[in-house]
Amino acid sequence: MLRIENLHARVEEKEILKGFNLTVNAGEVHAIMGPNGAGKSTLASVLAGNSNFEVTAGSVSLDGVDLLDMAPEERAREGVFLAFQYPVEIPGVSNTNFLRAALGEVRKHRGLPELDAKAFLAYIKEKKEMVELTADLAGRAVNEGFSGGEKKRNEIFQMAMLDPKLAILDETDSGLDIDALRIVANGVNKLRSKDKAFIVITHYQRLLDYIVPDFVHVLYNGRIVKSGTKELALELEEKGYDWIKAELEETAA
Amino acid sequence: MSILKETTEVLGHLLEAMPSDSLFAIREEAASFLREKGIPSKRHEDWKYTNIKRLFDNGLASSSSAETLVPRPSSLVPSPAVQLTNSSVSKNFPTLDGVTFSLFSDAGELNRFIGKSGIHGKQELAALNTVLFTDVLIIQVKKNAQLAQSLLIDHSVSATGSELFNSRILIVLEDGAKLNCVHHFHGTAISDSSLVNHVTEAFIGANASLELNFLQEIGTGNLVNTTEVNVERDGRFTTNTVQLSGKLIRNNTNVRITGQNAEAHLNGFYMIDGNDLYDNHTLVDHLVPNCQSNEVYKGLLSGKATGVFNGKVHVHRDAQKTNAYQQNKNILLSDTATMNSKPELEIYADDVKCSHGSTTGQLDEDAVFYLRSRGLSHKGAIALLLTAFASDVLVQVSDEGLRAVLEEKIQSRLSGME
Ligand SMILES: Nc1ncnc2c1ncn2[C@@H]1O[C@H](COP(=O)(O)OP(=O)(O)OP(=O)(O)O)[C@@H](O)[C@H]1O
Ligand SMILES: [Mg+2]
Repeated sequence: MLRIENLHARVEEKEILKGFNLTVNAGEVHAIMGPNGAGKSTLASVLAGNSNFEVTAGSVSLDGVDLLDMAPEERAREGVFLAFQYPVEIPGVSNTNFLRAALGEVRKHRGLPELDAKAFLAYIKEKKEMVELTADLAGRAVNEGFSGGEKKRNEIFQMAMLDPKLAILDETDSGLDIDALRIVANGVNKLRSKDKAFIVITHYQRLLDYIVPDFVHVLYNGRIVKSGTKELALELEEKGYDWIKAELEETAA
Repeated sequence: MSILKETTEVLGHLLEAMPSDSLFAIREEAASFLREKGIPSKRHEDWKYTNIKRLFDNGLASSSSAETLVPRPSSLVPSPAVQLTNSSVSKNFPTLDGVTFSLFSDAGELNRFIGKSGIHGKQELAALNTVLFTDVLIIQVKKNAQLAQSLLIDHSVSATGSELFNSRILIVLEDGAKLNCVHHFHGTAISDSSLVNHVTEAFIGANASLELNFLQEIGTGNLVNTTEVNVERDGRFTTNTVQLSGKLIRNNTNVRITGQNAEAHLNGFYMIDGNDLYDNHTLVDHLVPNCQSNEVYKGLLSGKATGVFNGKVHVHRDAQKTNAYQQNKNILLSDTATMNSKPELEIYADDVKCSHGSTTGQLDEDAVFYLRSRGLSHKGAIALLLTAFASDVLVQVSDEGLRAVLEEKIQSRLSGME
């Protein structure tokens, strides 16, 4: 589904991704771990089309189509969804109005008819239940005054609403209490299917107990330096990243 | 040329057109104020950014040529409506329970109100209007009459040269009366060397309520719109100004709160581009205790536009327990647009709650990206953000139908902004 080859990207003259490769097939869940500043969020931003990040080399394709050539909204309509590490607060814009507009665009692109007001409300209700969104976050202004955890849950709610084929979760588990973590993970698991894929960026093996990944990768200094299965996450949790850095230095020497 | 000589020449010619009627004393008072002050130049603190004198120097001449023109109807159609064309008032008044419409005449029973808001003693353009106006549209709402519908003041402007139009409205609300107006200034291909110098005087009686919405869409025209309001005890005044097009628009909104427990709400939303300049000057005079005033002015500037906001709140020594709040927020869509914002609080009472704030910034690019990353187009994202930006002002418009029309107009103006 997603093929990233030799991706180089920079922000403000600083090179951050330095030859990143990853292939994600439909139905798979990939976890990406790595120390602070390794470039995980940069990868997510590049995939979502944030123009602050400049791709200097490499390619990314989604189902064979050049992703880098698409505007952010085209990517979203094609089914790419990024749950942001730091969701933006947008005062005055109601979540519901925003989601109605977003869903309208996405459905139009997929050749689906627009939902009327009643059907939209029913749809919202169904998705709220799916991600156990109890507080009336849906009716408030987008993320305005939300707690850290509420913002993350709102991201998952939006994901459920838009039903993407490739979802990238950037530290969606950070700042969540254990119940919220379970709820978020359940939401993801309910959406998991053979034609969808997930990239889950996290620092904590804990999340991966709930969302069991097919692969775990370590991103370090702009590249994947190690890949494995869920056992790798346990090993990282136990030993940290130093041993990987040491291994790297050995091979370099 | 000396200031004095310049002033005399420009003014002398204009003041000659003063009608001789029963308002002689008031007109003469205004004229002598003007002879002393002259037409304000950019050296004048209140006109620092707004070059109104240029229009006068280019030979504005007083005109009331409207009779021969066919007015273009407003795009707002909440009946009932009163028609103004330039400075002249059409005599086809609607029939409304509790409301009397009339035109100024020497024997008019409400003449005692004309010029009594204290207007011509402070402001040059208003004084000029006082000297020169011919028609006055007089709207009187009788005691306890409450109008359910909005009244449209359909003000069509049409000018081909350096014409000066001095249009004037007097609104008198008796105790307990309620009136909701929308004053629509509109016109196409208006000469950019003409000027509409409009004055509204409003007297709000005890427990009465006036909402005065302005919609300003005058394309290439120039407008100075002065609103002078007196609010008595338990009275309420709301004004919402939406500025969508015009070459130079200056709104002077001055509210005197003279009775306790009264309220004033002044709001504005402006969208300026090209080389246009919109200026909102407000003054809220708190003379007595236990009153409140609220101001929210917001705007969008692009191209080489200039915006001015100057909001003065004056809390007199006796006006204890005053609540005054003022806010001005601007978004610059280009780096060649400029906003000059100056909120001013002058407080002489010691037990008051007053605050003011002013911000000018760019559109939040992170928010635009966030919305786009969910599938909204670039345009759609901006429209959603700007609609939200305007909403604080629009929610103040109580007529839902009017509010919806304004929202639509703002949206379509948005797609035309450079
Ligand atoms: N807008 C920016 N301007 C300058 N530097 C940036 C910018 N965005 C990211 N960086 C830098 O790029 C590097 C990679 O950042 P990135 O956010 O991708 O790391 P990360 O792996 O997500 O880290 P974390 O685990 O802390 O979230 C960091 O050194 C960061 O400071
Ligand atoms: Mg990060």
